[in-house]
Amino acid sequence: MKLERVRALAWKEWREIVRDRLFFALAFVVPALLMVLFGYGLSFDVENVPFALIDHDRSVQSRDYGYRFIGSRYFDFKGYAADEADAYDLIAGGEVRAVLVIPPGFGRDLAQGRPARVQTLIDGTFPNRALTIRGYVSAINAERSLDSAANYLAARSGTPYADVRARLQPVSLEVRYLFNEAVLSIWSLAPKLIMLILMISPPFLTALGVVREKENGSIFNIYASDISRGEFLLGKLAPYVAISCVNSLLLWLMAVGLYRVPFKGDFAFFALASMVYVACTTGIGLVVSVLVRTQIAAMIVTMVITLIPAVLYSGLIIPVASLSDAASFVAHAMPAMYYADIVAGCFLKGAGGAELWRPLLVLALYACALFAAGYALFSKRPAS
Amino acid sequence: MPDWVIRSEGFGKRYGKRQAVSGISLAVRAGELFGLIGPDGAGKSSLMKAVAGVLKYDSGTLEVFGTDMARDAAAESVKARIGLMPQGLGQNLYGDLSVEENVDFFAKLRLVPDELARERKEKLLGVTRLANFRTRPMKQLSGGMKQKLGLVCTLIHAPELIVLDEPTTGVDPVSRRDFWQILAELVSSQGLSALVSTAYMDEASRFARMALMHEGRVLAQGQPKEILALRAGSVVSCVPHEQVRARAALAANYAQVEALGPRLRVFVPELAREAAEGAVTRLIDAAGGATAYDSGEAELEDVFVALLAGSHTSADAGEASAAPAAAGNAAAPAIEAISLARRFGDFVAVSDVSFTVREGEIFGLLGANGAGKTTAIKMLTGILPPSSGGGRIAGVDIARELGCVKSRIGYMSQAFSLYLDLTVSENIRLYAGLYGLTRAERAARLDWVLEMAGLHALADTLAAELPMGQRQRLALGCALVHRPRVLFLDEPTSGVDPVGRRAFWDVLFRLSRVDGVALLVTTHYMSEAEHCDHLALMFAGRIVADATPGAMKAALEQDMGALYEVSGEKAPAFAPVLAAAGITGVSVHGRNLHVLCRDGARLTALAGGQGGLQVRARALTMEDVFVERVRALEKEAGR
Repeated sequence: MKLERVRALAWKEWREIVRDRLFFALAFVVPALLMVLFGYGLSFDVENVPFALIDHDRSVQSRDYGYRFIGSRYFDFKGYAADEADAYDLIAGGEVRAVLVIPPGFGRDLAQGRPARVQTLIDGTFPNRALTIRGYVSAINAERSLDSAANYLAARSGTPYADVRARLQPVSLEVRYLFNEAVLSIWSLAPKLIMLILMISPPFLTALGVVREKENGSIFNIYASDISRGEFLLGKLAPYVAISCVNSLLLWLMAVGLYRVPFKGDFAFFALASMVYVACTTGIGLVVSVLVRTQIAAMIVTMVITLIPAVLYSGLIIPVASLSDAASFVAHAMPAMYYADIVAGCFLKGAGGAELWRPLLVLALYACALFAAGYALFSKRPAS
Repeated sequence: MPDWVIRSEGFGKRYGKRQAVSGISLAVRAGELFGLIGPDGAGKSSLMKAVAGVLKYDSGTLEVFGTDMARDAAAESVKARIGLMPQGLGQNLYGDLSVEENVDFFAKLRLVPDELARERKEKLLGVTRLANFRTRPMKQLSGGMKQKLGLVCTLIHAPELIVLDEPTTGVDPVSRRDFWQILAELVSSQGLSALVSTAYMDEASRFARMALMHEGRVLAQGQPKEILALRAGSVVSCVPHEQVRARAALAANYAQVEALGPRLRVFVPELAREAAEGAVTRLIDAAGGATAYDSGEAELEDVFVALLAGSHTSADAGEASAAPAAAGNAAAPAIEAISLARRFGDFVAVSDVSFTVREGEIFGLLGANGAGKTTAIKMLTGILPPSSGGGRIAGVDIARELGCVKSRIGYMSQAFSLYLDLTVSENIRLYAGLYGLTRAERAARLDWVLEMAGLHALADTLAAELPMGQRQRLALGCALVHRPRVLFLDEPTSGVDPVGRRAFWDVLFRLSRVDGVALLVTTHYMSEAEHCDHLALMFAGRIVADATPGAMKAALEQDMGALYEVSGEKAPAFAPVLAAAGITGVSVHGRNLHVLCRDGARLTALAGGQGGLQVRARALTMEDVFVERVRALEKEAGR
């Protein structure tokens, strides 16, 4: 192993990356950009649902009922709609996601003690969001029903309103969320975005960097010289691993600084795990690059084997525990899930090496296996 | 060290099912410049890569420096002594690094000690005249400079053997000559062995020994004169009074007849010059007669084609002549360019270009890359509006009646613009449809194109499966499907073997002479320029010469003198003597020297003083004309 050669190769690679505007952007701008785009674009929180009201009754009661929604932080009142046809258009046009229809005689029915019916129209195109909105509507409606029952009973029995209200709901539920106290989806999302972006960016860079040399023929300089395979791979990949390590720090800073996600764990452990993970994903790029010939093929293959598993089988969107057996198997076979566990643990649960050594070990083995495969598959004297 | 640097016995290489090369046995001696000559797909690259130890092979033996290259470890052990420059213009270099950074990287990669690397770098950059460009990024170099830089990088670790894969392909003739000159100097001064490939037949004289390759086999190998001796014969040329008739008479007796402008050139096997001239004269006298007879020795390309005769059957294009094309306006010239100019921002791509092409004329537009040839063609075909000036196609103004112009012209591009996933007949039908031919016309033209291109048997074959020569004729057929009166051909013969190229020119000959189609051809194969009736030489966007090939050669001879070849054992040592005597037009061709000088008697006298040297006059080629003219212009432009 001649370090001088490794250094020359790494230095050449570094200068090419810095001087090629496209590569430079891919190396340093794209990861941060992805973090911003995904972070702001991919929120699972359902808040400020735009909604409209149709009040056919226009009574004190109907107005009071409507205000319960207008005043809620979960709903964003867009105005009154004239009729159902109007409501349909508003939902179809995406201006509102829900419409509440208060029928004529709503106030009169309530005053006479007859059950009143209220209709809710909800945009069902995204089932999860629709169910969440339905939950909000039911909760506000139930609250209003209890209040009016308490009012009635208090007036009839002469017992103070507060007592009646307490008796009507004898068991009240107190929920305390652990680790993500405000249940902000960004707290869970931002750390996993680090996982996602470090799964995409290093393999892309590496595969394109190596395949570019194959495509334009400069790889023959390597084949034809007496440099060893190990020297070549070390010199060629070192800049990409280094760049990705810098990027992992940058992404961590964005998660903590931009998205205000608390980091409760052991930073040294997180840094070590990130280096191992980056080496692992760089290894994926290496293996892709020895198998394909063109940059286009490298991009497509890398995309398929990194992006899709990292989005679907890593716990980014659906927890791994909720996946089907087959999907869960895929998740366990991919490195993304292990690093997702590490980032989630480090950021929110305050975990460190004691709890998370197992996924780290898996990642390290993964990295070793990928580099061994890359080394074995790379030939200085290929058959074609 | 063994006397042989490379030895192979029955070498073979296959890619999947395709056998790329087989049964190659050749030997390269230490200290020689050995050439591999053959068209694309001949198997040159496979052999060269195996020699450099960067490609596994399947059969036979291959020894480099006496080491059997069959195993990876063995191949690895000789790599320090080999330098490889792969195919492609500067493709193996790093575009974003400067000239100097490229050289330094190669030096470090090869573990050359700093001091030595610096010394060699300065010397090589000096020899290649790149020293003034050391900070320029590689991607901003011209093609010729990239190739020279590639050579420097290949030589930086002082290898004993260099393997250069088509170093001159895609480089303009001036830079090509320059490159050969530098290579010859380095090989002789450093005692290098070199294995160099080329697709240009006319570069064969550069090699001490060579192998002619075709379709994965070696047809012949040895010194140029040994190869020429394999098919002894002479070449006779003349200007017949009735070219078409005379050509038919000759073709009935001889396999190799070419039309070069108004001339015919025929290879007469086995006969010496006088006897050959006599035989040709008898044939032509019975077919209208001719003037300006000339005869000479056969060239390598003639021998190559003769060696292939018999084994090669697919190249024969149909003899049936083109169906008469739609009548044109006979009075007007076919193409007229009138002070055409085109600027891109501050850059003047074409300025004040005027020329005329008559019906039935083959007009050649020559020039280095970037001289403005393609821009001029684009303006004449209506693809690009001119900044000023204009043109007429068959009397129709290109600016005013574009639609009318487009139906009268055919255009065949360098890339052949075929759909490789369609069959031969599907391609033809597609073009017929694009030009709006009726159903009946379509069937007739399909038949005509298949006949013309000799592709009847292959009508249902995918275009991708055709060899380059047939693909080229198919592209020509597609460009002719709507019976244009004017045909533009942009570098039409890149990558086609000599047999295919000759068949192609035969088709063009019939088109122009029999059907009266006007042809405008751009090419950087100077040997092809000889086929044209008239030439215009472009330099920096202007036309700097406009004459027949014969007149251009005569003018050069007037200005610079005639061309002589000095041969003999001591020929290389004679170059410094000539330089001392103030004779400058000297270039090294293998073991011979080519000298361009006015005073032949003085040259003979100088050579006589050396003993054992022969001086013979050689015919000037279009390449000589091109190179000398462009060099003079470059000097004028202050470069």
